[in-house]
Amino acid sequence: MYDSIIPTADSIPVHWLWFQGLLILTFFIHMILMNFLLGGSLLTVWDLLRGKLEKKASGSIPTLVALTVNFGVPPLLFVQVLYGHLFYSSSVMLAVPWILVVPVLILAYYGAYIFVKQTDKAPVLSKVALVFTSLSLLCIAFVLVNNNTLAIRPDQWEIYFDNPGGWNLNLGEPTLWSRYAHFVLAALAIGALGRAILYRFSKIKKKEKDLQIRRNLKIFAWITLAQFGVGTWFWLSMPSEVWKNFMGGSLFATAMMVIGWIVALLILHSSFTGRLSAAMVLGGIEVFVMVIVRDLARTAYLNEIFRPSQLESRGEGSPLIAFLLVFAVGLFVLYYMIRLIFKSKAPQP
Amino acid sequence: MNYPAWYLPNLGGGLLIAIIAVLHVVISHLAVGGGLFLVLTERKAVRTNNPALLEYVRKHTWFFLLLTMVFGGMSGVGIWFIISLINPAAVSSLIHTFVFGWAIEWVFFIVEIVALLIYHYRFGKMDHKSHMALGWLYFIFAWLSLFVINGILGFMLTPGKWIESGNFWHGFLNPSFLPSLIFRTCIALIFAGVFGLVTGAWLKDADTRRKVFHQCARWMYLPLLVLVLTGIYYTRVISAESFENLFHFNRESSPFITLLIVSSVILFGAGLFTLVRTFQALQKLGALLLVVICFGWMAGFEYMREIARKPYVLYGHMYSTGIRPADMEAVNSEGFLAKAKWSKIKELSEDNLLEAGAEIFRLQCLSCHTLDGYNGVKNKTDQLTERGLVAMLTGMGKVNSYMPPFAGTQEEKRAVAAWIYYELQGKTTIPPELYRADEFPLEIPPFNPDTSEYVLLVWNDLGMHSISDNEKYFSFLPPGNTLNAQLFKRGPLPQLISSGVTMEYSVEEGFKNPSNHSMFWEYDSVIYGVDLPEGQGLLGKGVDGIMDAEGGVFAAHLIPVMPYMDNSTYNPYPIFTITAKDESTGEVLAVTKAVAPTSTEVGCRNCHEGAWAWNNVSGMSDLTAINILEAHDRFNGTTLLEDADSGHPRLCQSCHADPAVMAPGVPGVLNFSSAIHGFHANYLSGLDQDACILCHPGRVEGNTSFFRGRHNEIGLGCTECHGTLEDHALGLLASQSGMAAAQRLSRKLEPVYASSKEEIKPRMPWLMEPDCRSCHTNYSIFEDGFSGTAFNLWAPGKEALYRMRTDNHGVMCSACHGSTHAIYGAINKFGLHRDNQQPLQYQGMAGTIGTHEQCAVCHTHEMITNGHHRNMINREFPAAIVE
Repeated sequence: MYDSIIPTADSIPVHWLWFQGLLILTFFIHMILMNFLLGGSLLTVWDLLRGKLEKKASGSIPTLVALTVNFGVPPLLFVQVLYGHLFYSSSVMLAVPWILVVPVLILAYYGAYIFVKQTDKAPVLSKVALVFTSLSLLCIAFVLVNNNTLAIRPDQWEIYFDNPGGWNLNLGEPTLWSRYAHFVLAALAIGALGRAILYRFSKIKKKEKDLQIRRNLKIFAWITLAQFGVGTWFWLSMPSEVWKNFMGGSLFATAMMVIGWIVALLILHSSFTGRLSAAMVLGGIEVFVMVIVRDLARTAYLNEIFRPSQLESRGEGSPLIAFLLVFAVGLFVLYYMIRLIFKSKAPQP
Repeated sequence: MNYPAWYLPNLGGGLLIAIIAVLHVVISHLAVGGGLFLVLTERKAVRTNNPALLEYVRKHTWFFLLLTMVFGGMSGVGIWFIISLINPAAVSSLIHTFVFGWAIEWVFFIVEIVALLIYHYRFGKMDHKSHMALGWLYFIFAWLSLFVINGILGFMLTPGKWIESGNFWHGFLNPSFLPSLIFRTCIALIFAGVFGLVTGAWLKDADTRRKVFHQCARWMYLPLLVLVLTGIYYTRVISAESFENLFHFNRESSPFITLLIVSSVILFGAGLFTLVRTFQALQKLGALLLVVICFGWMAGFEYMREIARKPYVLYGHMYSTGIRPADMEAVNSEGFLAKAKWSKIKELSEDNLLEAGAEIFRLQCLSCHTLDGYNGVKNKTDQLTERGLVAMLTGMGKVNSYMPPFAGTQEEKRAVAAWIYYELQGKTTIPPELYRADEFPLEIPPFNPDTSEYVLLVWNDLGMHSISDNEKYFSFLPPGNTLNAQLFKRGPLPQLISSGVTMEYSVEEGFKNPSNHSMFWEYDSVIYGVDLPEGQGLLGKGVDGIMDAEGGVFAAHLIPVMPYMDNSTYNPYPIFTITAKDESTGEVLAVTKAVAPTSTEVGCRNCHEGAWAWNNVSGMSDLTAINILEAHDRFNGTTLLEDADSGHPRLCQSCHADPAVMAPGVPGVLNFSSAIHGFHANYLSGLDQDACILCHPGRVEGNTSFFRGRHNEIGLGCTECHGTLEDHALGLLASQSGMAAAQRLSRKLEPVYASSKEEIKPRMPWLMEPDCRSCHTNYSIFEDGFSGTAFNLWAPGKEALYRMRTDNHGVMCSACHGSTHAIYGAINKFGLHRDNQQPLQYQGMAGTIGTHEQCAVCHTHEMITNGHHRNMINREFPAAIVE
């Protein structure tokens, strides 16, 4: 029945695998940044509640907002290229919370600046701003989880007919809370890892530095351990035809899941033993593997409905080439600017 | 059609887009120009060794970052979100066409924000050269970001060759790319100056403040000339239709053009205060005021661009309804509901008519309209009836191409109209009832075939004269019925009497006081420029009087008879008694009776709302008249309603020339027939003769049913002679094809009785009419080539018109055959033989005078040859009569 309401997808300029690759790559970067931001801000709130606020670990929150949002653009772009017809439909169904993401994000962004810039001048306002920003980010994450789950469940779309006003959060989705918990915990874990990295490069006393690194790595480890439970909850709350894919149903999917577990175990080992470099690399690998697992799960959800390979390609390669050239130039300029920071000295008074 | 619609019944997606877009666009332009402002001001501060100015740059950078990177960047995402919620089909098309354009823009943006962050956070911590290098990089990449977005925005308005090729570069480097890029760059520089004032006004040091203000003024005014010239260039590259939508025929654009002009004047007028020494408080206030004006200015510009793009969201590729022109044919034939994926109703029936109408509205109209809020349909449609709403939907995108065409079947159109009328407007329609005409008794004057010496034949010239009887608001048809008469002295060779006779006419009782039933004499001075005595017509005739001898014909022109009787009875067929008297002796030579058909059943109210004005039977109500004038004013920028309200109603023909009332009109304005038929044909197309009787008093169930002659009885309708309304209008408009209005009205009309528009002969109203001989070749009925239509076969000249034509003996066609539209024997619902009095008087048979070889009516004996035209005697088919 719901087949008839799934919109017809538009054609794409080049082979779908280009977009698939770009989606995974850019989503990976976005996830890392998002985890640093969300996890970092939540851990800062935790510090605040404990009365141990560390400016070193929290001063980068506004910049992280900028980077997270801006690195969120390409995966949002590429997911719309591949799954736009599903994504737009689900967005309309929860249009109100979805559009509210924007003003909430703007306020959260300003909140982050208030937190950083007003720590000394208006400490109460600063703390309130931090809490507001963190809660806002949690809300945004919740809306995103709702939209992403609804986009891959066209069988639920008839809810629109009863409520076309854009208030359809996907609260009946069996994976909603487990998915949300899994992602927020992941953000806390990677956020802690990020803070450890930040301390590693901060100019504080070695003793304090080592303490903070160990502390944050432990948080990383404990939450990773908790993810075994929450992740399994999430996994098993998916439809059987989806989760069975990761238990032998698909060799590749199963392999990815197994790699994810192994890497998680290695993370536990490296983090509990205070090995930051190893934890850093393993954390990155784990996020990358989970991005792929997530993509495989989406593919399994949509198995009977749609595959990106069905998209008609127009074979228009020149804009892709232009993009790759511009991308290379962009990377070079970014490198040049960062180099300038390190090369340049303060002007003479 | 492909996507669900976000149901925002009163807020409206369009308003949400507008709010977010205007806020974002101002800031995003500032983000470009402001980058150059920063680095050049920093350079100046460094070169002049001015630490105070450098400090200003530092503070302005922080303000700039908070505004552009936080609000500007995030609201940019907001636009993406909101348009994908309001018009997902369009966003999908843009994303899938320009995905790598967006990706390139993202790269530029990332470099831009990284540069700005470093520029801000490292201010004073880097050497000036390196720091300024970052500033330059910021500006270059911000401008490149604009470069890319500009290409995609330009594509939406002028896709150029992309429409055929689908090629990325054709779409990106489109016709408006360059003017738009220069135009937007100028805006960016101007905004940089304006926003520079904000931080400048808060500087404590007066000297630095003055310097900053002078610098900002240069930023505001130097790009101005380029901006204006590029603006003109911009309007030259958009399509002619876009230009028309912006500057002509479209009142929707007026507020935004006004907004742009007013805010420009304020911005660049009030902006001069920057050059004047004044209090800091005033400088602060002035700076903030100019910032606010920037938003108004941008709203004006962006709305104009939006209007220029209408009726498309992607010009030429996708209507603002989200439907592609390429899909229209299928949608119109198979039905919108059947094709729309997100419709829960798939089949339309009388049972779900209103529900289906709501569904179609939601899926097709809500992307721009609300129900009763911003751009609300309730308010826009309250002057129309259900029928009028159907017409409005039919005409969408035709006369005024601002609106996209309705997508769907006729029944779906009816469903939307019904839903708007009954549900949204909450109105009710009284089902049309068959008008029960009173049958008025006839007293046919005596005629003795053996002793009567004269035969007097009298007829009305047109067979019906309509009156637009609400002169309080306007007039186009005054009371004015014309009777013609011919008097024959009977004999073997009858004699046409044209002199020595006084031809008196007198209306029957009940119609003697037309001024009691008409506002005509109240407004005659204002409308017609003559102050007539009550009861007198425009050419001096009353309802009783003497006809003028005009060659072989006696005529009384423009007798102001009304269809309203003194006893409040409606009768559109008043009977006149005509008496021919010897001029010298006063002896009565002949007496006969004829109807002067006259009706106030002008059907404007069928679409334009309003009840009947006179006893709920006939006549144009104030509401109908007001609605018509409002519509005219809205479409044409006139002030007719205001004029009428102030006591100066107008004759429509005072602008629109019309031979019928001998009005020369105003040069460059369509003649009345062209305008009224041309305009309405766009709204009433596809209706065959139903379109005619929506306006003219021809409805069978109406209060007049003026088409009562023989042609009606054999099943012919209006269109067999005149063509459909579209054909009729195209012929009229072709005669004025040099006028832009004629081209605009005719461009979306499709001929029915001709295979192409080019085939339709230009036609002057009233002077070129259907030629009877088109069908009645050689005066036959069928045997000599009945062609099926008289359309486009106009009588060759005025003298060849049926109502003007005579035989070789001076006998007028109408004298024997009756009035146009009431050819003997006619059937009149106000009394079967009301139009046939003379045939019954002279020959006792309701047919043509002399029918069935009753030549003796005039000739006093039988004839053996055709005297007046072929096929009078020895006919293969006997002529029909009304029993």
